[in-house]
Order: sequence, then C-alpha cells, then structure tokens
Amino acid sequence: MDTLIDLGGGFASALEPVSLAFALLGVLLGTVVGVLPGIGPISAIAILIPVSFGMEPVHGLILLCGIYYGSMYGGSITATLIKTPGEVASAVTAIEGYEMARRGRGKAALATAAIGSFLAGTLAIIGLTFLSPVLVKLANVFGATEYFLLMATALLLASTMSAGSRAKALISIFIGLAVGLIGLDFQTGLPRQTFGMDLLSDGIDFTIFAMALFAIPEAIRNLALGRGAKDEIQSFGNDKWMTKEDWQRSAGPWARGSVVGFIIGILPGVGPSLASFMSYIMEKRISKRKDEFGHGAIEGVAGPEAANNAGVGGAMIPLFSLGIPGSATTALLLFVFTMYGLQPGPLIFRDETGLIWTIIASMYIGNIALIILNLPLVGVFVKLLKMPKEILFSSILVLVVIGAYAIEFSLFGLMMLGIFGVIGYLMEKGGIPMAPAILALVLVPLLEDNFRRMLQISGGSFAPLVTRPVSLSIIILMVAGIIGPIIFRWWVSRRKLLADVTVS
Amino acid sequence: MTAFRTDLITGGAIAVIGAVYYIATFSIQETANIVTPRTFPAIVGIGLIVLGLFLAGQAAVRHRKDTLAEAGTGSGGTARTTPARDGDGTAASAGESSLETADRSSGQEGVSGIVLEAPPEPQVRKVVFQFALFFVYLAILIPVGFLLSTAAFLMGLTSIYAPEKWIRNLIFSVLFAVVVYTAFVYGLAVYLPVGILG
Repeated sequence: MDTLIDLGGGFASALEPVSLAFALLGVLLGTVVGVLPGIGPISAIAILIPVSFGMEPVHGLILLCGIYYGSMYGGSITATLIKTPGEVASAVTAIEGYEMARRGRGKAALATAAIGSFLAGTLAIIGLTFLSPVLVKLANVFGATEYFLLMATALLLASTMSAGSRAKALISIFIGLAVGLIGLDFQTGLPRQTFGMDLLSDGIDFTIFAMALFAIPEAIRNLALGRGAKDEIQSFGNDKWMTKEDWQRSAGPWARGSVVGFIIGILPGVGPSLASFMSYIMEKRISKRKDEFGHGAIEGVAGPEAANNAGVGGAMIPLFSLGIPGSATTALLLFVFTMYGLQPGPLIFRDETGLIWTIIASMYIGNIALIILNLPLVGVFVKLLKMPKEILFSSILVLVVIGAYAIEFSLFGLMMLGIFGVIGYLMEKGGIPMAPAILALVLVPLLEDNFRRMLQISGGSFAPLVTRPVSLSIIILMVAGIIGPIIFRWWVSRRKLLADVTVS
Repeated sequence: MTAFRTDLITGGAIAVIGAVYYIATFSIQETANIVTPRTFPAIVGIGLIVLGLFLAGQAAVRHRKDTLAEAGTGSGGTARTTPARDGDGTAASAGESSLETADRSSGQEGVSGIVLEAPPEPQVRKVVFQFALFFVYLAILIPVGFLLSTAAFLMGLTSIYAPEKWIRNLIFSVLFAVVVYTAFVYGLAVYLPVGILG
C-alpha cells in the first residue's frame, strides 16, 4: 500500500509539465540518436550526458532514462532497416527484422518491436515498482561482505555470460579495474598508479572513458573507411502494419520474452543482450515454423525485442535498491546519480523518496510516450538513416570533445579522451568487448571499499563469506552463474540450435 | 590478420601492460592496514598478466590443432575442413563476440551461433591519419577557440571524405559549430573556449 502511495506521489510530480517535457524530450532524443547507425544505447547516453549537466537532478535523470528507452527503440529501427545493430542486444533483430523488411514486412517488424517493447517495458517497471521496496528491506541486513560479493558476482557474470570470449570479457573487466584504480586511494589518500603524473591523481573521469570507448572508435573507423558500399536501406512505404496473424504470432513471444528478459535483467552483471539471445533461442525452439527463422520470422523480432526492454526494467532494480549496476548502461546511470550527489541504494528510498518515485513514474510515462511518438514518426526517423556518414561521425566527434571539455575544462581532459579513444580502437581490433570495462570502472571503488570493510570487521578473516547466510546464498548464485552458462553453451552447441542461423 | 595472430598479439600486449601496471604498484606507499592501497592494483596487474598469457596460449594451442588438422586432411587432397575448430565448439567459438567477427573466417560462430557480417576494416594508414587529425583538433581547441577550431576540423574531415561537395561541407561546418556553441553556452551554460576570437 505504501508503495502505491509513493508511486502516486511520483506520478503527481512526473506529470508536472516540466518533468513531462523532459521525459518526452528524452525519449525523442534517445530515438534520434539511437537510430544513427552504429550508435547504441550506451553510446547515446555517453554522448548525451553533458546535456544533463547543470539540470535539476530529477530532470536530468528523467531525461537520461528516457534517452535509454528511446535509444533502445531507435536501435531496433536501424537493425531492421539497414541491419546495423547499435549493440549486441539488437543483433537478432538485425537478422529477423531485416529479413522481414526485405520481404516487404518492415512496418510489421517495427510495430511488433514497438508494441513488444512497450508491453515488456511496462511489465518490467511494474516489477520494479513492487520488487524494489522488498529488496530495499532485504538490503538492510546486507553488510560489507554481501555488497562485496554482489559486486564481485556482477563482474564475474558480466564475463561468463557475455556473448563472446570469456577470456576477452575478463580482460575487459581487468582493464576497467586497472583504469579505475588510478588516482588517490580514498582511504589513505596515497597516490596510486599515477606514473608520477600529478594530473592523474584525480583519477580518470568515467564519462570521458565511456565516451572515448563507445563513440570514438566507431566514428574513426567509419571516417577512415571512406565512401565504400552504401548501406542498403529497406523502404517500407506501402507495407501493411501488423495483420491479425501477426498479432497472434507475436503475443506468445512478447509474454515469454518479457519474463525471460526481466529475470535476466535483475541478475547482476548480465545485460539485456543475453536476454534477447535467450528469447530468440527459446522462440526458435518452441516454434512450429522453425524453417522461417533466419528468413524473417516475426517471433524472432517480437520475443527478443520484448526481452531486451524487459531487461532494461529488470536491470534498474538492483541499481535503484542496492546501488549495484547490472550492466554498462546502468553503470552510466549510476554515474549520473553520483554526479548529482545521489547514492542509489536503500537510503535513496528513505531520504529521497520523492525523487526516486518521480523517476519510476516517469518511466511509465516514457514507455507510453515511446509508442505514441515512435510508431507515427517512424518515417521521420528513417530519414536519419540517410544522413551522410561524414556529417554524422564528424559531428559525434565534436560532441564528445565538448563533453570531455565540459568535465575537465583542460587540455589534459581532452588528451585523455584522445588516448582512451586510441585504446578503445585497439581493444575493438583485438576483439575485446568494451561494456565490461565500463561496469568494472564504476564498481571498483565500491568493490575495494567493501572488501576492506569486510576484512576490517572480521579482523582479516575470510570466514564471513561462508558463515553469513545471505553471503553464502550469493556465493551459491555466483557458482551457478559460472557453471550455468557453460552448461547452456554446451546444450546449445549439442543441439545445434542455431547452427543454421548464419547471415553472410 | 588471422584470428590466431590477433589473439596472440592482443594477449601479448595485455600481458606486457599487466607487467608495467604491476611494476608501478611498487611505488605505492605501504601502510599497516589489512588491505593496503597496493593490494588491489597488484591483484589487477597480476590478473592482466595471467589473462594475457592465457589468451596468447589459447590462440597458440588452437593454431597448432588447426595446422595439424589441416595437414591431416590436406594429404587427402580435399579442401580444408575445420574439424579441430568445430571439435572444441563452444570454447573456440567463444573466441569472438557475435558482433565482432571482423577477421574470422566466414564460418566462425559467436556463442549463440548467430553470425553477423563482419564490419569492413579500414586501412591502418587512414585510421592513423584520422586519429592524427583528431589529436590536432584536441590540441588547438583551447588556444584557438571552439568556433574556429571546430569549423576547421569539420571542414577538414568532410572534405577528405567528399571533396566535391565543398559548399555543403563549408555550410555544415560553420553552421554546426555556431549552433552547438550557442546551444551549449547560452542554453546549457557550458562555457566553451573562445580562444583568439575572445
């Protein structure tokens, strides 16, 4: 009951004209940036963080949450029409959605993605509304041991459950940790890993790191490519929207995708990308039309897109109630919270009740805005796909430079941006994923702090890890998180479930 | 570049970075705490060394297996098959995220078996050139000022890409710089450097 009263209060302030405007603006801006080829939600938020500087915390956060949603949907448009997913999560849409568009079913693909995202997103926010207060209560018994374990689990799962090589994902995490430890040690105030440079004692700014990794390599790569083959944009002017059969075929995948996505989203360290893959595999497995998969099966768009967006809502739960980001994107949001001097976790629900519930309420609104704005406006967004590459990517470079300048106001900050841009490019060439590094960079201070407190309380003993019931449960989850994916990979490869889904 | 070489070089580079990082931890002042300021950086340094060596080792082992398999089938005069790679299925395919199949052979699968077209790779020379331009822009931004340096940077990039559209490039470069400057300085109160115009 308290929850509903809090939520009601949240709606009251989220529906104020200014808040409403920021929610709509966020969704619109997010979609516009998300549509740009090669720009996924993470890059979109990283590029747009500077816009939220100097705003009221609640407005800045509403705006960025809206951007998150919008960019997810924007990414589906790009994936469907030019087969360029902005991030791994929309990779499966790039397969089935694009095939649908090629067969003149582009509008149906975009509609099933939008409606599925809306339904799953809303369900996930309902879950967020009612699960967060429960988790907040649970968090009261959490000590340093549990927090340390949760964060370690998040990092571990981010590597074992990522889509690619586990070794490379782990390397990415260690790169993030290594960068995060540069600067003054917050407990003793001693400089660490500064290589004798005083300028490094403030540490590496998170936004600069994120922008450098997610925007610069992509921009430089595209600019260096020059004019090659043009992307083939699928048109859909005369397509039909969803038919009755499409609705019937989409309903099941939407529902299953929502559940799968939500559960995976809650798990620490596991982003929406795994959710969309899992949903795709599941839909393919239970479908009566297996042969259509890979050739434009609507289930292959409906399920993963729903899972994707349910995962976003799910990932907000550990972020809001425990202060632990589950993915690189929520890590960015955590950073924005701390930028405003707010610390997500149990305390924010007590001390900043109004703020947190306004943000949750604005998510409901953002989701509705997404479907009202985006289906009718899809034709406008598609025009963005035709933007010349040199204009697009040179503008992005200028925007990240402004962002870096606005953070440090120094040549040093600008040079850091450039240097990490080069590092990001080399990581990409080596096949090392970027997202785990971002997560690790945000988590490392918390991880170290809780590790220290755990050992201080226990007097140097590691016993609390297994003697406390909650921490023991987390360890069990951790082990399951390591073994589970291995079994899952084995099962998938044994059944050759996806062996025939190849796009070449 | 083959996947083998990419992994070998990446692994080696990571191990070297880890070693440098680990050596740097020796200059951190020790304290009497249970967890000293050095503990975490040292763990991270060692972790990077181990992971780098593991990646390089894994690549070398896989390459050996591939070469052996190739030698086996090659003598029969048949086209190259990849039994070794398929054999250790998940482990091998885990070598790449499904989006980053850049220089793998076309049959390579991501973990979930979803293969996307590898993004085209630009020439190294051009990448270096683009980065060089970017660094020049970063270096002149503060002394020259945002408006002039940005317009010049945009004009440079777009002209290299599409020289014949110079009028459009010029209009875009100037307009974009002015609009963004106005939006940030007057709209968001983020003061950008004025430089020589100031």
